[in-house]
Order: sequence, then C-alpha cells, then structure tokens
Amino acid sequence: MNMRRISTRTNTVRHQLPVRRQCSIFGWPGLEGEGPQPRGFLRSAQSSPGHPFVLIITLFLVSDICQAAQADFQSTADILKSRQQTIVKLFGAGGGNLDSYGTGTLVSAEGHVVTVWNHLVGTGYLTAITADGRKFAVDVVGTSAEHDLALLKLRTAPGDLFACIDLSKVIDTDPGTPVLAFSNMFHVATGNEPVSVVHGVIAARIPLEATQGRWKFPLKSPVWLIDAITNNSGAAGGLLTDTKGTPIGLIGREIRHAASRTWVNYAIPLTTLKPVIEALMSGKKFDSRPKDSEANTPMISDQELTAQFGLTMLPNVLERTPAWIDAVTKGSIAAKAELRRGDLIVMVDDAVITSVTDFQQQLARFRSGDRVSLTINREQQLLPVELLIP
Amino acid sequence: MKGTNRIPAQVMSGRSVLRGWTYLLLAILAMLFSINSANAQQTVLEREAARVETLRRITPSIVCVMDPKGQGGGSGVLISADGYAISNYHVTSGAGAFMKCGLSDGKLYDAVIVGIDPTGDIALIQLQGRTDFSFAIPGDSDQVQVGQEVMALGNPFLLASDFTPTVTYGIVSGVRRYQYPANTFLEYTDCIQIDASINPGNSGGPLFDIEGRWIGINGRASFEKRGRVNSGAAYSISINQIQKFIGHLKCGLIVDHGVADFTVETSDNGEVRVAQVSALSDAYRRGLRPGVQLLSFADRLLTSANDFQNVLGIFPDGTRLPLTWRDTDGLHNATIRLRPLHAFQKAPELPEERQQKPPQDPEHPEGEEGETDKKPDQIPDSLKSLFVARDGFCNYHFNELHRLRIVNALKERVATFGDPAPAWVITFANAESGPRLTGELTIAATGVGMSLNNKPFLQSTVDPQLQEESPQLPGLLIAMNQLRRLLSGDAAAFTEQLAAGRTFQLPLKREVDVLLTREGVRTCRWYFDEASALPVGVDVEYAQGIDEARLLFADWEDRNGAVFPGRVGLISGVREELRWLNIDSVTVRNSSASEEKNP
Repeated sequence: MNMRRISTRTNTVRHQLPVRRQCSIFGWPGLEGEGPQPRGFLRSAQSSPGHPFVLIITLFLVSDICQAAQADFQSTADILKSRQQTIVKLFGAGGGNLDSYGTGTLVSAEGHVVTVWNHLVGTGYLTAITADGRKFAVDVVGTSAEHDLALLKLRTAPGDLFACIDLSKVIDTDPGTPVLAFSNMFHVATGNEPVSVVHGVIAARIPLEATQGRWKFPLKSPVWLIDAITNNSGAAGGLLTDTKGTPIGLIGREIRHAASRTWVNYAIPLTTLKPVIEALMSGKKFDSRPKDSEANTPMISDQELTAQFGLTMLPNVLERTPAWIDAVTKGSIAAKAELRRGDLIVMVDDAVITSVTDFQQQLARFRSGDRVSLTINREQQLLPVELLIP
Repeated sequence: MKGTNRIPAQVMSGRSVLRGWTYLLLAILAMLFSINSANAQQTVLEREAARVETLRRITPSIVCVMDPKGQGGGSGVLISADGYAISNYHVTSGAGAFMKCGLSDGKLYDAVIVGIDPTGDIALIQLQGRTDFSFAIPGDSDQVQVGQEVMALGNPFLLASDFTPTVTYGIVSGVRRYQYPANTFLEYTDCIQIDASINPGNSGGPLFDIEGRWIGINGRASFEKRGRVNSGAAYSISINQIQKFIGHLKCGLIVDHGVADFTVETSDNGEVRVAQVSALSDAYRRGLRPGVQLLSFADRLLTSANDFQNVLGIFPDGTRLPLTWRDTDGLHNATIRLRPLHAFQKAPELPEERQQKPPQDPEHPEGEEGETDKKPDQIPDSLKSLFVARDGFCNYHFNELHRLRIVNALKERVATFGDPAPAWVITFANAESGPRLTGELTIAATGVGMSLNNKPFLQSTVDPQLQEESPQLPGLLIAMNQLRRLLSGDAAAFTEQLAAGRTFQLPLKREVDVLLTREGVRTCRWYFDEASALPVGVDVEYAQGIDEARLLFADWEDRNGAVFPGRVGLISGVREELRWLNIDSVTVRNSSASEEKNP
C-alpha cells in the first residue's frame, strides 16, 4: 500500500569544502574570508613522498571538486527540499509556557527520530507527522539526560522507508560557516507542508552554561552558537546543516544563558551526538535524569517574599504544603501582577510547583528585573500571570 | 613528458615519472582551487555591488506611514507615479482618513485613505503633491522559492527621522503559509514566511527579491516569549494576492474576502474531500456533493484543506473561480462565485486598538510610540475634498471617480443615453448549427417580451408575477431588461450604481473593470474592458438558489440610431454552455410605441 512512498537516503553529503565556495550560494555577509582547508591539504600532500596513493587521492579530489562545482549550480531549493524531507513534526501535550508541538530529525530509513529530551517526549502520547503528511504514533527508544537527547521510533508498517540524514556523513565545522536551520518553529507548517528554514552563521563553539527554569543545560562539551534566531518555540530537535545540506547539529531548546539571561541559539554538534544515537539504537541505556538535590538549593525566605514581593504564603506546615497565597500586600509587585489571596501557584515558567518550598526555590533562580510567568489556579481555572522579580 | 618541464626545477629532483604526473595533477588542482576562489571572491563582490545598486533604485518607493500628528505608524510602498501606496490595514486603521507620509527624500507628504481590505490586512492610500513619485515594480510571488534571498524595507522602531528606510536581509523560510485569524479578522493566506528581521514599524513595508522586484507586504510575525521583536519568523502578504485587490481598493471600497459555500477536509490518504455543501450554492447546483474529491480550485492543484484555504483567501469577494472535482461519473469542471465573508459596512476595529497599553496580542508589529494628546486636526481643504465618508465604502470619493469614468464614457458612446424610455425591437437567430432558433425581442420600460420560434415569453417590470423565461435561453429576458436600463442612462433605473473594482472575467479570461448596479433584488456586474466604453458582458443575480443570467456582448455597432451588440452570448445554466445569438436587426421606437404588446 505504501510502496509508492518509498524514499531513499539522500546522500548528497560531501567532504569539507572551502568556506568561501559555500558562500556563492547565498552570498550572505562575512563569507569572503579565506577557507584554510585546501591550502593546508595541498601543503601536506606536497610534503609527502610521491606515491600512487597521492595520485588516487588527487584524482578523487578533482572529481569531487567538479561535482561540488556542479552542486553550486544545483538549485538551493533542491537541497532545501531534500533536507526538509528528513524533518518530522512532533505533537504531544503542553501547557503554560510549554509548547504542545516540536520537531524531530529522521536518522534511519526505518523511522528512528532524534529530538531534544524535553517535556514533549515525556507526555506519553507523542505523534509524528512526516514530510509527506503521514501521521505515526511514536515510541521512546531511549534517552540520555547528559546529552539532552531522546531517540524515538515511528510505529511504522512493514516496508515503510523514510528519507533521513546519514549519520555516517555528519561533519564537524568551524565558526564562520554559513548554516541552515530546519524546524517546525511556531508550528507554522501543518500536515504535508514543508517545515521552516532560516539562515545564519556559526558564531562560536563553546561549552554552554544555560538554564531553563530550574533545569541546567547538562552537556559539558562545546555546542554551536548561531547568530540567527534558530531556537524558537517548537524548534528543538530540528536540523542544522551547512549550505550544502550536510548535517552538523541538532537544534536545542529555548533557553537563557546562565550569566547574561539572554536567549541563546545553539545546536548540539552531531559529531558529539552520533555515538550516543548509535548506542541508543543498539539498545544501550543511559543514566536517567539526575534528581535535583534540595538541600543546598537557594530559596527566597518567607520574610523576603513578604517584604519584596508582597506575597504571604500559607504556612509551610505539611511536608508538601501546596503554594497557596494567604495574603497580598497592597501596592506590591504581587498586587500589580493581580495575584490574590487563595490563588494556588501551579507553575513558575515551565516548572511544575509541587510545594511552597518548591515555589520559593524556583523564584530564587531568577534575577532582579526578570519577568517570570506564573500559572495560577483560581476558582478551577488556570490563569497566566507575569511577575516582575524585584 | 612535455608537461613536466612546467614544474619548478627544485621540485623535479630526478624522481619517477609517476612523481612528475602527481605534481602536474597537483598543479592543476591548485589552479582549480585558486580559479575557484578568485571567482567566488569576484562573485561575492559583484553581488554586493548589485545589491547596493538595487537598494539605491528601490529605496525612493518606501513610505513611512504616520498618523496626522506624525506619530506612530508603520511602513508602506508606492505603486504608481500618481502616489498610490500599499500598507497594512492595521497600520492605517488607527490614523483615520488622512495621514502624513515620509519618503527617503526626507520630505513629508499628505496622504488620504483610498481603500481597505481588512481581512487581508491591506490598505491603499494616495500620497499628494506630486505626479512623479518613484514606485516599486511587482514581481511574481508564485515563483518565490524556499531559500531564495529577500530584503525587507521599512521603518522598524521608526529609527530614521529623515525617513531613510532600514533594510533587513534574509531568506524565504516557507511559501504558501496559512496563518489563522488569531483573535481578529486578519487572515494571512498563501503568504511568504521569511527570516529577515521584521520589527514594530516594519508593518506595511515591502518585501523585495534580491533583484529588487516587489514580492510582498510584511505584516505579521510570530512572537512568543521574547517580546514584540523579531524572532526569525515573519510573514509577508504575497504580491499576487495584493494585485487581485488593487483594482477594488482603488474604487474606495471596503473589500471583502469570499466563502465558497462548501467546506473541505483532508482525508487520511491525502486527498481533499468535500465535507458539506450549501444546497443554495453555485457548487451544489453544478453537482458538487459531500465526499467527492476536489482536485483543483482557481487552477491550482489541491493536496490539503490548507491548500484550499490558501487559494480561497487570495481572491476578493464576488470573484468567479473554476473548480475541478472527481466523483463516480468522472471529472467535472465548473465555475462558482465567491460569496461575502464578513460584509463589513464600516471599517472594522481591531481588538488591540481598544487596549490602553501596547497590544497584548503580539502578532502584529506596529510602531506605537506612547500616548498622543489629541490636538484638533489641521487638514487643508484641498485634502478634505479627497475624502467622502459613506456607509459601505472606505472613501466614496474614489468610487465616484471610477463610476463616473465608466458611466461618462458610456454616455458619450450611446446616443439614446439619458432617454428614460427608449424601446427596442430586436430580431435574432442562433449563430451555431443545431436546431434553428429565431426570435424577436421587444425591450421597453414596462417589460421585455420575446417571441422565440413563435412561442411568447413575457417579463413585466411592474408585475412581479409575470416573470417568464425561455428554457432554451434562460436568463435572456431579465438580462436584456437590465441592459435597457443601463443603455437608457435613466438615473432612476437603478437604486445603486458603483464601481466594483477589477476582475478576471470568465469565460472571457481577461481583466475587466466592474460596474455594479442594483435594482430591486437584481444585482448586475457589468464588465468593461479598456478598449471599449461599452460592456463586454454582464452577470445578473436575481434570486438566491437560481443561477445568474450571464451574457457576453460582442461587435457593438450603431444601428438605426441605437448602439447595440451585433452578437450576444448566453452562458446558460449550471452546465455553463456558451451560445451566441446573431442580432439581425434593431429598431428604436419612441416611448408611446413601447406600449404595444408582444405577438
């Protein structure tokens, strides 16, 4: 039944090419710089003794260049289309600041999909829509908290095959490389519509110190920072490629830098993720998400809460006293946010609040001047409230 | 081994032949790289120079649109030398009838609102004071591809006090996007998604391709957690949609979008299926039923319900569009007319306008720069005369201009124009082969009579019970009655006459001006092409659930003091067959003669 839908891997991937050649497709700024690779390669080739091996390599390279030159004239639209085919639209459950949609990238013809291990993966009834508009139920094969990665598998019918990125062809690259980011940000595309693509340049390769509410970005090895807004709502799990469509990274979360509190646009290098993905595919289990230790977690004290926020909470008498508001001081920040006595705080940003202590710890993660979105339960209705941190 | 002596001597140190070949190849390789890099460098510089030149050329067409006090507002783009400019409805809606517009020459121009398309978020204004404005040259947005380079021009954050526009660069992130009317009536269909920075104040500004062709109007962006600034996902209304509305907008109308009177859904196997059909619709009468597969709409293939919405959204209300579907009997082609979506009588208010603080719904970037204390407007009289408020119109002044242009040309051409009671007796015969049809029509003020192959049919303008039509030539009598009214030039013949924009007429397949007349329940759309002052066709709506009477007119000529078409084409009924009648003779009678009855 699905025979006509069989698609093949699209291996248009090439070896590293001079950066300047890539710019001739788009010509966006900052690309005129010299690409160091060819010269370096030539030098090393010349210093090595003459050998048939060199000849073969050389012939290979010449043919490669010819192909690459052709690829330059090959329409950009074709490259984009072939990559858009490898992206799936994910749907699960959301709420508050949490989106109910996301993005995944197909890494096997049999329907393995990688995405970021965010709230969406944990919702239990994840579905995916492939580029041709077909809808699939999704199973979580494995996760790695350390890499913020989840491997999913589409529940396919026998014989279903998908266009996917070729993990054996992922490459490393350098800052200055023009890149394309493919994702279903803002859920713009529905059904069989192609996902969004934005362009940018790799700005840096750095270890990322960033937080999302109480959650800290776990990966210690460097990530790509991108100079364009790639990490939008629903973009996590999308694909970062160079302008030839060569896969180089997995788009990360919407997240703020720990020090500057500014939004960062990053992608995790696929060269870092490749062994993890392969391990997950072979059935290896990684450690589950580390538990936050509550002992040393800083928190806003009751006194600070009343004095600075104008919030008095119900006394913390139980082991897990819910975060009920007992009183709101007139003219205070809490009053300006239109919080009221009797409101139950259920979320701070996208973290679910389980107790009043939890709430006080969550607030401590923000800095003065931040705007925090709270979700409160008032008379059986969930309401969003914005609170300014004093 | 001739080639080897080109290799530098220090390299040739008596090694093998193979070694020589290797170096030769390496040299070629190095050459290839250097040629390639030189070319790339050259290309980049050339492209940059071309871009700079393009921007220099298109910049004078960019408009900074502000309210009369010169505060707040957005952007726009000039589309003709006489000062017509396109902006967003959500930019002009707060300004009222008059605006101040800044151009890159640093000067401020008065402007008046002309027409609005609230659903499509488009407004047409006219800048005053010059007849030699620079203007943008439109491209074809159907050719726009994902990945292609684009430039957005406008006045984000109202940065330039001398009105020099800001340029932002990006690529096309998606085409044919559908954006729901989020909390408002503004609906973006078939739009272009871009990653160029679009910020408050960019609204209404143009999107250009890298060659400087105008391909869209930037009006909307996705914002979420990061506040009302660019997030890398903005939406541009396609030029091809705007082009379909400009003729309407120039007529001072509140232009509406349409509905098709049926709904569609995407089936599990990726087909577009009809869900529900109104039994009173054109589509139903032509055989469209729930469950059939819709293949194309307005000549575009459909693969999803969104595709259908996208096509529907780019046409003004009243447009006639072709439809193709498949059922158990095979393929069917038909045309249907779009019905009004909102039928606004007044310019609708946007929800966010009513809010005191800056909009909570951040979907629409506007440059709002704080509260403005109301000073009495100081509008010069010359400008005031360009605006006439009237229910159902954005600016009636412009409708009057276009209506008079059509009617005055008609008046000059038709000798009997202004005579309230001419009567014609017309003999005709069918032009095509087949059963012979001959007839005589008497068209008078009190009614239309026809003898067709000696069978009488009579329509009275005074007796609503007497409304016969021949089943062989359905709609002919009612349409002829309306034609007499039009050609008589009798001011009382119609309760309403207005210029209704331009449309792509079917089956003529050409752009025509539309004059709309109303008389009782009868609404006529008269089609005029630029070559002639006389109509090339008319569609008469006269009852809900009954097909329009549709005529084409050809070979207009003067006959015995009357101007009348030499041939009349009748598009009859649900099968939409076109049949031509040759008009053999025309006799004009005076008023008293019109009392005579038909045989």
